Amino acid sequence: MTDHLDDVAHLSTCDVCRRRAAEGLDVNLDAVWIGVAAEAWTKPAGRVERVARRLLRSPGLARALVTTPSLVPSWILASVAVLAIGALATESTGTPWVPLLAPALAGAAIAYAYGPGVDPAFELSRSLPISDRMVLLVRVLAVFGLNALLALAASLATPEIRGLSLGWLIPMTTISALGLAVATLARSANAGVAAALTGWALVVLGGAASTHRLAAAVTEVTLLPMYLAGTIGLALLALHASSGHRMERRTWQ
Amino acid sequence: MAVTVQIERLCQRFGRTTVIEDLDLEIGMGVFGLLGPNGAGKTTLLRTLATVIAPAGGRLRLLGLDPGDPEQRRELRRRLGYLPQAMGYYPNFTVFEFVEYIALLKEMPAREIRRAVARAIERVGLGDRAKAKLKTLSGGQLRRVGIAQAIVNDPELLLLDEPTAGLDPEQRVEFRALLREIGGRGTVIVSTHLVEDVGAACTEVGLLHRGRLVFRGTPEELAALGEGTGAGDTPLERGYSAVLAGARAGARA
Amino acid sequence: MSDDELLAAIAAGDHTALRELFERHAPWMAARLRRRLPRDAVEDVLQETFIAVWRGARHYRPQGAAGGWLWAIARRQAAAWLRRNGRAVVSLDELDSPRSEDVVDRAIDRVDLEGALAQLGPAGSDRRLLVDLALVAGYPSKEVSQLLGIPEGTVKSRINRLRRRLQRALERGAEHDRPSR
Repeated sequence: MTDHLDDVAHLSTCDVCRRRAAEGLDVNLDAVWIGVAAEAWTKPAGRVERVARRLLRSPGLARALVTTPSLVPSWILASVAVLAIGALATESTGTPWVPLLAPALAGAAIAYAYGPGVDPAFELSRSLPISDRMVLLVRVLAVFGLNALLALAASLATPEIRGLSLGWLIPMTTISALGLAVATLARSANAGVAAALTGWALVVLGGAASTHRLAAAVTEVTLLPMYLAGTIGLALLALHASSGHRMERRTWQ
Repeated sequence: MAVTVQIERLCQRFGRTTVIEDLDLEIGMGVFGLLGPNGAGKTTLLRTLATVIAPAGGRLRLLGLDPGDPEQRRELRRRLGYLPQAMGYYPNFTVFEFVEYIALLKEMPAREIRRAVARAIERVGLGDRAKAKLKTLSGGQLRRVGIAQAIVNDPELLLLDEPTAGLDPEQRVEFRALLREIGGRGTVIVSTHLVEDVGAACTEVGLLHRGRLVFRGTPEELAALGEGTGAGDTPLERGYSAVLAGARAGARA
Repeated sequence: MSDDELLAAIAAGDHTALRELFERHAPWMAARLRRRLPRDAVEDVLQETFIAVWRGARHYRPQGAAGGWLWAIARRQAAAWLRRNGRAVVSLDELDSPRSEDVVDRAIDRVDLEGALAQLGPAGSDRRLLVDLALVAGYPSKEVSQLLGIPEGTVKSRINRLRRRLQRALERGAEHDRPSR
């Protein structure tokens, strides 16, 4: 009996001949399928990730970066929108909204960088060559840098208040460190976001209450040492919170 | 026997509780089953070997590398596969994305990653769910995803903590076949309290009781120790109970 | 599911349908390719073929002739492989049924088709488009006329003319780079 190998139309429909055709074949069809699946199951890396790969010299860190929740386009657009509204509001009300909003935005974004990709799989991540701390570091630096750039752009867009264009920078580091410390301590991105927002709100309101000027939190130079001390202290706290020893007491069953 | 895992006088403590005390163990290629009741220290031992926690005392030499040295630890982690007892996951990642992410963090050569991920997913039988989001998977399927990420880099040392939790009997059979295959080329250490799992796949077995090794040998040797005693439905279970009873008596004496 | 249904599902992004199609068709395609190509070539060609299927399933017209469509892709991939690896390996002439008398049919298997096509006009030109649709991909004239917006009669006469020119070009041999008219 022929195997009808020459008759494509027949082979299209006849299972018997198809199976017979494959008998004794030395071709590794499983390996072929793996090659096809590798193509069908995923999409190739985007441009941002490819650039990040070259800059960071690490495909792993690049992927960790692009999976940061606060670096997705929708989050960035939302931040831009908030700052834009702030810039417009400044022109009409005279209060420097951009410096007042920027630290909170950054703090929330940094707290949200801790989350998917870092925790909850932290047990596993501590057995990997690229550790969760490296991931967190890269994410925090990228998110902070981006937010600082956005804030700078927004404050340049409100020319009347030029003198304050950097007043948000130091408080931004403090509130970012606060968001990160709480997120890693509580092992919850949401807790970090809440801490950053309320913390900054309290600082602003406190400054406004004592000086009767809303923008005191970002204009009083005397506050700088306090902010810097806060940044260092909270950063150390975040460092400790993400270290091995502290994790032990919390996870051992 | 070429020794791949060398444990010398290992001590592990949490707070003031000693979990592992003066453990000496050498393991080579093949599948090594780690048995013992809850709290015996199996998980702690696996976590130590996975470089998640550092030893409180003693020496380790894994795959000829010293985990105490940062560079060697990083190299060791590239050749490791680890499945923790409770593996967190990122709900919005697909199966492929998650295993790929871990492969990237394991610093696998970028060119090989997609094929390796596809192969790992096929080996655990999740090909049909490759593009499904993790949050849509059942417990057993998630466990298989965990196995896939552990084997994606073809590890020389594979550490599995309760890997068959949530798998149905048919899946457990397939899993044991996978273990035997990997054990042919590397070292597998499986911790389980399902004695029968161990008997079918393991070349050697170790029994841990209160952080000490109270038995080490083949499954047949363990079964032989249970002859004549009553506690257990299968030879292995009887052997297991006999050794444990002896260990408890010894501890009380 | 029928092949047509599978291909429709694949076009919609269903990768399990791709798996099913692969399991159905890869074995006989591998056997056929293996008659003339070495094992690693067969594996490469099959892989590229099904990746092409994954990417281009939406171009398939359901006519119950999936096997032929798949085989046409495999032939093109085989030709590409031979080009990449030197034609010295084997000629594709015998891959298909040796009973085919049609010169153009057999010629399509030959790797110097590209050179012959180039003689018909630059890539992207109307002539090439017509040849690609009607002769290489095998769409019936009615469809081609709909696609290109020219009357079916015109399509048919142009195809015949181009077919004769292609025949002559292939007979001359594509190695001789002649300026096209």
